[in-house]
Order: sequence, then structure tokens, then C-alpha cells
Amino acid sequence: MTTLAERSGAGWRLWALVPLLLLVGVVALFAATGGSVLDLLGRTPPPADEFDVRRVEFKPGEIRVRVTNPQQEDLTIAQVTVDDAIVPYHLDGNQTLSRLRSATIVIPFAWVEDEPIAVGVTSSTGIQTTHEIAAAVETPEPSGRGVLGFGLIGLLVGVVPVALGLLWLPSLRRARPEWLAAFMAMTAGLLAFLAVEALSEAFQLQAGLPSALGGAGVVLLGFALSYLTLTFLSHRLAALALLVAIGIGLHNFGEGLAIGTSFAFGELALGTFLIVGFMIHNITEGLGIATAATEERKVSLARLAALALIAGAPAILGAWLGGYVRNDVIGVIFFAAAAGAAFEVVVEVGRWLRERAPGGLTSGWTLGGFLAGITIMYVTGLLAA
Amino acid sequence: MTKFSRKRLLVTAAPLVAAGPLARVAFADAEHSATHEGHDHAHAALGHAAMIGADVPSIERSAAIDALLTPPPALPHRPGRVREYELVARDVDLEVAQGVTYPAWTYNGTAPGPVIRATEDDLLRVRFVNGGGHPHTIHFHGIHPATMDGVFEIVQPGGSFTYEFPARPWGMHLYHCHATPLKKHIHKGLYGAFIIDPPKPRKPAQELVMVMNAFDTDGDGENNFYAVNGPAFYYARHPIRVSRSQTVRIYLANLTEFDLINSFHLHGDFFRYYHTGRDELVEYTDTVVLAQGERGILEIDFANTGHFMFHAHQSEFAELGWMGFFEVVD
Repeated sequence: MTTLAERSGAGWRLWALVPLLLLVGVVALFAATGGSVLDLLGRTPPPADEFDVRRVEFKPGEIRVRVTNPQQEDLTIAQVTVDDAIVPYHLDGNQTLSRLRSATIVIPFAWVEDEPIAVGVTSSTGIQTTHEIAAAVETPEPSGRGVLGFGLIGLLVGVVPVALGLLWLPSLRRARPEWLAAFMAMTAGLLAFLAVEALSEAFQLQAGLPSALGGAGVVLLGFALSYLTLTFLSHRLAALALLVAIGIGLHNFGEGLAIGTSFAFGELALGTFLIVGFMIHNITEGLGIATAATEERKVSLARLAALALIAGAPAILGAWLGGYVRNDVIGVIFFAAAAGAAFEVVVEVGRWLRERAPGGLTSGWTLGGFLAGITIMYVTGLLAA
Repeated sequence: MTKFSRKRLLVTAAPLVAAGPLARVAFADAEHSATHEGHDHAHAALGHAAMIGADVPSIERSAAIDALLTPPPALPHRPGRVREYELVARDVDLEVAQGVTYPAWTYNGTAPGPVIRATEDDLLRVRFVNGGGHPHTIHFHGIHPATMDGVFEIVQPGGSFTYEFPARPWGMHLYHCHATPLKKHIHKGLYGAFIIDPPKPRKPAQELVMVMNAFDTDGDGENNFYAVNGPAFYYARHPIRVSRSQTVRIYLANLTEFDLINSFHLHGDFFRYYHTGRDELVEYTDTVVLAQGERGILEIDFANTGHFMFHAHQSEFAELGWMGFFEVVD
């Protein structure tokens, strides 16, 4: 008598295919007769028939509304309203949208600058989806000036403060080991705070996405992707300063994305005051990288510049992407990735502290520094809330 | 939507003051685009006034809807004459706005239902067959026995009932289903105009019936579309042609649910308004307000030819479909 275990290796590989083949068979059988099986359960409720309003753009004398069908069943655009008034429109795309298909509704409309406005889309089944915009502001077209403007914003909130913070490196080199450990722990606290905030941002954005685009698991995907990539790199690159710069860079990408999006869609009145606030905040990020860089015996100016760019320049890319593309799926992935990267670097810094800090992870310098990092972030956040 | 959950400020900004001028450069583009946008793009706006004819988002011409506009002719006073009607409750998917289908409950397939007309002292005999999926009745306004009131004799699906009573008093009335829940049975479409002509005939006129109604298509207790006689903007897309040489008489009723009042406003002219279609209370105006269930008769002698708008003076209702045009010709 032969058991399965005694079969040859090739046989085992074939066996591995059997469940898959059977699954195909069962699925085919269900698809062929599936309707009658579901009939046993009674009538299924009607679809929600709500549109997912992806973006609303304001052009001179025109409103453009991008809608997506987030459900399994087809969805047909029938009537369009602006501020509860039926308006004529034309479509760039199909009237009837199958699953996850989109169309742009073009409405000739003399909208009023800076005033709130609500756009409604009614399905052929009479279900109205209303989307409210806090203030109508003309959507920027990609132009030389605009690209320069968003680029400069990214430069100001990203590269400049990080580079300035790096200038603390010579002072940090002369600091006592206890103080250095405290600053390093502060860097960890700062990153932990950023990670929690980014994670919360990712979950909030994700909650607004249509369910057809997946659940909260996509946040874990983005988180794990960046966390594990950085773990992989950390055991090969070895340079802690570079890791911290990458972690902060990912975070600044998300920050640039949020600034660009909010500005382009009239959700944020960006003023010099707010920009200065971001710069002050981000200079602490430069301090964090500088602290990590004290590890390296000699740091060339070129290397410092590279670190500043890695940590700061993503803010420029983010501002461009947010300003002109606005895609909440990209937003979720990047905020999740920023959280993953920040947490990974917290772990790396923790490892450094355990091995190098006088008194290790449990010294007052380390614990106090970590708490100080979180507190600084929290207090500065309150000031701008 | 992406919002700022993380806005942080610190007040010690000494090394960063130099950033001010740079930021100004960064925002120059934005400020520029914000200020040149003004009030001068009205050319592209299709407002209220332009909503006439083929561009209006309303349904194609429909014989069933058109039939509701004209009442059956008035008959001379002859006490005891029998006037027979048959109303069948049917569940029908109606196109209540262009492209929007609503699962309505109707009398004879339209919302509002057919116009019921009699002369005072006629014996009205209305056979009601319930072909719908829910219990219904017909409740007539007017003077009649308690057993003919459409309140006690609930007609089950598949059942029937014949309402029989003398038509009185003369005036403009209405009918609707009185099964519970009342709000649901009315807003789903079970209502119509009920005209009782006076013994002394009214003077000849171009007679029209307008039942103000609305549809809550997404079931949130607020109307999505407003109209007279059915679909939103129907008479904006298909103006009502009338002659200047003869009085236009409109039998108007308000059967809008959810909203406490509705109104009728005529552009470019005035009309005589007879409350409940009687002589006791008459006014000369261009706007009348009607509560739910209120009705009356309007008589217009147009002074001019051309297109004259009529609509609810609640702008919201007007812009959600309760707007149309008279095309006045010689």
C-alpha cells in the first residue's frame, strides 16, 4: 500500500495543482447556477447607486466634475444639479458607467469665486450624490509659473529647513555623549509622532475611498512595503543618517502632497505664516539627521547636501503631484509608506541607543529625549491647530 | 479629502525671516489666477431665462402627459345625470425627470391621475380597481356620505370599490389615496384634479389643468424634482401654446408632499384667482401661494404675445423643475 508521502516529487507538484483546478470547476459551476443558489436567500437589496465624486475643477465659466462608479452594478448619470438647481451639462465619457469606470461632467456655470458650492449627480434611479466644496477657487493649470510656485513651496518647507538643521552637525559633534543620546532619542520621538500622524492621515483618506478599491488593508500594504524595504536597506547601507533622511523624505513627500492638494482645491489658505510654521517644524528634522550623522567620522559637504535633498526634495515632488493630479489612492499609499518608514527608523534609532547611548535605552537622557521629541511635535501642532 | 491634520507652528523664527520674499514669489502665480477670475464669464451660463426649448433637460413629448393638461369638457347642468369614471391603481416606473426613473404608484398610469369632472348635482360613479401591490383608496374632497370618503373602505390589491355620490359643491377640488402611511401614498403619485362645474356655466375659455407635484426619488424625505402634471421642466421644453384672443383658465391644485407650501407665479401679466374655484374670494395678482391640498382657478387675459414664463416663486422649486412657458399667439 502506497501513501501520498511515498509518491515522487513530480507527483507532489501535480497534487498542488489539484485544489486550484477544483476551485476553477466549483467557481464555474456556481457561476452557471449561482443565481438559483442566491434565490434561496430571497431578494438582494437594490444597489446604493451613489457616485464617487473624484474631483471637482473650476474653470472660467465652467465646472468639471469627475465621477466614478464605485459599485458592481452599472450606474447611469441622469441629472446634474449645482446648489440644488438642475443644470444642463455635457459628458466627457459614457452616460452609463460600469464598475470603476469614470466620466467627466462638464457644466457651463458662472460660479462665484470663494463661495461654497455643492454639486449633485442624480442616477437614473433617482439617487442623488451631493459633493460640497468649501470655496470655489479656479483650479490651476500646469503652467511654468505654477510648476515654479509649487516647486518653491516644496523647497521652502522641505529642503531649506532640513539643510539649515544639518548645520547643527559641528555643534553636535562637540556635545557630551549623554546629550547626543538625548538628541538621538528626541529624533526617535519626533519620528514616532510623525508616524502616528501619517498613519491616521492614511486611515482617514482610506475611509473616504469607495469600497471597491479595497479596505483598510491597503494602509497595511503601504506601511509594510516601506517598513520592510527600509529594514532590508538598513542591514546593507548601515549609515543611520541616510536611513533617517529616507524616513523623513518619505514623510515630506506626504506633506508636500497634502499642501499641493489642499492649495489647488481651495481647502487651504496658504499664507507666509503657515509656510514659516512648516519651516520651523522641519528644521527639527534636519537636527535629527545631523544627530545621526555624528556617527560618521567625517561627513563631506556633498554628502550633507545629498542628505538634505533626500530628506527635503520629496516635498517638491509631492507638491507637484498633489497640485496637479490629486489622487486619494496615491495619498493613502504614500501616507502609509511614510508611517512605515518613520516607524522603521524609530526601531533603528532605538537599536543605536541600546548599543551606543550611555545607560542604554533606559537612561533618563534617552527617555527624556524621546518624550521631548513627542512633546515638541505635539505643542507645535497645537499652535497651528 | 486631504486635509491638514498636522499644522504646526513655532514662534522662534529668526533664521527664517529671509523666507518671506521667496514665499511671495511662490504665491505670485496663485494670486494672479485668483484675481483675474471675475464676473465676466456669463456667456457660458445657461441660467433660468435660457431654459427653454430643446436644450432643457426634460423628457420627450408624451401623449399621456399632454392628455393631463386638458380637462374633459364641461357639461350643462342636469341634476341626476350619471357620470362614470374608472380609476385603476397601478405600480408604474415613471420618468419624472430626463433619464430618472421613479417607481410610482399611480391612478391609470400617470402621476397626477386623470382629471375627474362633473357638473354639480351629477351622480358621480367612480369604479376603483386596485391593480397595485399595496392597499389603496380614493378620498375625494367635497360633500359626500361618510361611507364614500375613502377612509374606511380600504381596497386590497386585486379588489375594487365603487364610489357613488352626488357631485357638490361646485368648485375646484382634488382627490388622493387615503391609505396609511398617508405621506407615502400621496408622494408616490396617487392624486389628481377633481372639477365640479357650477350650474350656471362658466364663460368659454381655453381650459388647462395644472397639478403641482414633486418626487422624492432618493427617499430622504425631501423632494428631488418639482413640476406640474409630472416630469420636471416638461413645459419649459414643450411650451403651452395659448391664444391671446380668449381667456386662459387654469385649474390649479397643490399636491406637493413634504414642502408645506407651493406657489404659482406668472410673468408679464396678471390673473384673477378664485380660491377653491368659487366666487366668494377673488383676487387680482400675479402670484398665489397654496398650502398642501389647497386649490383654485386662475383666469388670464394675456395682453401680449410671446413666451411668458410661469413657475413656483420658491426659486428652489423652480430650479428643480417647476417652471414652464406659455407661448401666447394671436
